[in-house]
Amino acid sequence: MRKVLRIMVRRTVNAAITIFGILCLNYVLIRLMPGNAEANLAPHNPQYAGYLADNIRTFGLDRSPEEQFVIYLQNAFTFNWGISYYWKQPVADLLLHDLSWTLLLVGTSTIFTTLIGMVVGSFAAVRRGKPFDLISTGGTIFLYGMPIFWLGIVLQLAFQKYGAISHVFTWWPWFPTQGYWDDPNTGFPQVWAWDWTHISNVLWHLVLPALTLSLGTLAGISLVMRSSLIDVMTEDFVLTAKAKGLSDRQVLRRHIFPNGLPPMVSLIALDIAFIFGGAYQVEWVFNYKGIGWRTIEAIGHLDFPTLQFIIVIGGVAIVLANLFSDFLLLWLDPRIKIT
Amino acid sequence: MGATEVVTKKPTISPLEATLRVAWKRAKQVWTQIYHSRNAMAGLIILLFFASLAITAPWIAPYRPTQPVADATCSTLPVPATYLQPPCPAHPLGTNYNSNDIYSQVIWGTQISFIVGIASAVVATVVGTAVGLISGYVGGWIDEVLMRFNDVILSIPWLVLMIIVAAKVGVVDLTGLILVIGLTGWSVTARVIRSQVLSIKERMFVERAKMLGAPSSRILVRHVFPNAFPLIFANTILTVAVSILSESVLAFLGLRPPDTYSWGRIIAEAIENAAVLYNAWWLIVPGLCIVFLVFGFYLFGYALDEILNPRLRRR
Repeated sequence: MRKVLRIMVRRTVNAAITIFGILCLNYVLIRLMPGNAEANLAPHNPQYAGYLADNIRTFGLDRSPEEQFVIYLQNAFTFNWGISYYWKQPVADLLLHDLSWTLLLVGTSTIFTTLIGMVVGSFAAVRRGKPFDLISTGGTIFLYGMPIFWLGIVLQLAFQKYGAISHVFTWWPWFPTQGYWDDPNTGFPQVWAWDWTHISNVLWHLVLPALTLSLGTLAGISLVMRSSLIDVMTEDFVLTAKAKGLSDRQVLRRHIFPNGLPPMVSLIALDIAFIFGGAYQVEWVFNYKGIGWRTIEAIGHLDFPTLQFIIVIGGVAIVLANLFSDFLLLWLDPRIKIT
Repeated sequence: MGATEVVTKKPTISPLEATLRVAWKRAKQVWTQIYHSRNAMAGLIILLFFASLAITAPWIAPYRPTQPVADATCSTLPVPATYLQPPCPAHPLGTNYNSNDIYSQVIWGTQISFIVGIASAVVATVVGTAVGLISGYVGGWIDEVLMRFNDVILSIPWLVLMIIVAAKVGVVDLTGLILVIGLTGWSVTARVIRSQVLSIKERMFVERAKMLGAPSSRILVRHVFPNAFPLIFANTILTVAVSILSESVLAFLGLRPPDTYSWGRIIAEAIENAAVLYNAWWLIVPGLCIVFLVFGFYLFGYALDEILNPRLRRR
C-alpha cells in the first residue's frame, strides 16, 4: 500500500510538473510569435485602444518579464484570462463553453474507437496471420493513413442531404454536416432546452464528426491491442496453460486477456492526445465549434488572448487524462505494485 | 596489394563504419524476411510506384503545375474557356480556376510529398534519436528533465504547436515547412529510442565494453547506436508517413509555401472553389494519393518494425 501511495504521489508530481511546463512553454511561445506581446494582445486598430489598456493591466505588460510571468501564472490559476478581442467575451467563458462540446465529440469517439478497436485488435491477434488479421490490419492502417480532414469531407459528400448518392439510392441516409445542433423547426440553433427533441438533435449532428474521428483514430487502438496481446501470447505461461490442457478460449480468458488488457489503458490515454489533434480537423471541417475550431479561428484573427490559453486547456486536459489512466492502471494491474 | 595492408593495419573502424557494417549485416537478414512478408512487399510496391511517379514527373506530366493550359476542348461553358474544365481525355482530372491541369498538378505533388515527408522525418529522427540516446543512456536528472519536456511537447496538441512554430519559423518556403514539421514531430521517436536504449544498456556487450574501460561516448556511438539503428530506421519510415499527413493538414489550413503544389494544397484549393459541385475528382484523387502513399509507408514501416523488433517475433 505504501508503494502504491508513493507511485501515486510521484505520478501526481510529474503531472503537476508537466502542467507547469505547458504553462511556461505557452508563455514563451506566445512571446516568440512575430511582433511584441503588447501589440499582439490587442488588434492593430485604434478603436481597440480600450482593449489594449485592459490587456496591459490584466497581463501586466508594462512590468518586467519576471513580474509578467508571475502575473501570468496568477491569471492562469484564477481563470482571469483576459477578453477575446474578436469575440469580445471573457476568454475563460468562451473556452469552457468550447471545451464541453469538444469533450462530447472526443469522448464519444474515444468510446467508440476504444470498443471497436479492442474487439478488432483482439480478433486479429487471435487469428494472427489468417485472412481476418491481414484484412483488418490492412484496413485499419489504410484508415490511419487518411488525412482526417479529407475523410470528413468525403463522408460529408457521401451523407449530405441532397448528395449524389441519395440521388440514385433513395433509401440512402443523410446526416447534418454543419454545426452541433439546430432547432428542428427553424433550422438554426435558437433556444436550448433539455428535452428529447434537442438532445436527439445534438446526437444526430454528432454522427458524422464522431464517425470521422473514430475511423481516423481506430488503428491507434486496434494495432496496439493486437501487438499487446501477441506479446502476451509468446510468454511461457501461455504455453504452460496450453500444455496443461486448457482450451483456447480458457487460455484467452484466464491468461491472455488479464495480462494483455491493463497496458492498453495507458496506451489509450496516450492516444487521447492524438484524438484531440484529430478533433481540431474534424471540428474545422464540420463547423463543430469546439476548442479546435476556436483555435483555428483565433489563429486566423490573431486573437492572442484566446490563443494563449487554448494551448493550456488542451494540454491540461491531456495531462489529466494520462494521470487518470495511471491511477486506473494502478488499480487494475497488480504487477505495477510489485515492481 | 591489399593483403599486407590489412594485416599491418590496426583493426580500428570509424563509428560510421561500425554502424554501416552492423546495418549491412542486418539488412541482408532483414531483406529475406521482408521478401517473405506480404504486408512489407505490398507496401514496398506502393512506395516504388509513387517514387517512380515522383522521379519521372518532368516527363510524364503534360504541364507544369503553374502552367495554364491553352486549349478549351473540354469546356462545357456556353463560351468555351480554359479554366474549370470538367474531366475529359485531354485533361483527365479537369482544370482549375487558373487553367492549370489538375492531373499534372497531382503528378508533380508526388515530389513535394516525398521531399517534405522524408526531409522532415530525417529532422525529427535526428532530434528524437539524440534526445532518446542521451536520455536513455545518461539517465539521472538529465533523463528526468528531457522526459518531462517531452511530456509537455506530447501533451500540447501537435496541430497547435505546429501552427505556432509555423508562425515563428514562417512557412515561406519548403525548408521552413520541413523544419516546422520536423521540429514538432520528434517526441514519439525520442520515447521509442529511449526505451530501446534502456534495454540495450543492460546487455552483455555493453557491460564488457564498460569493464574494458571504454568511455561512455564510445559505448554510445559504437555499441548502443548501431544496435538501436534498425529500430530507428523503422521508426523513421513511420515518421515519414506522419510527416506527409502533417503537411497535408497544414496545407489544408492555409499554411502552404507559394508555388509548391502539394496534394494537400490541391485538396484545399478544390474545397475553397466548391469543386464538389462540378468536379469531385479534383478533391478525391489527390486525397486518394495521400492515402495510398501513407498506407505504403505504414505497411512497410509496421512490417519492418515487426521484423526488427524481436519481442513481436513468434517464438
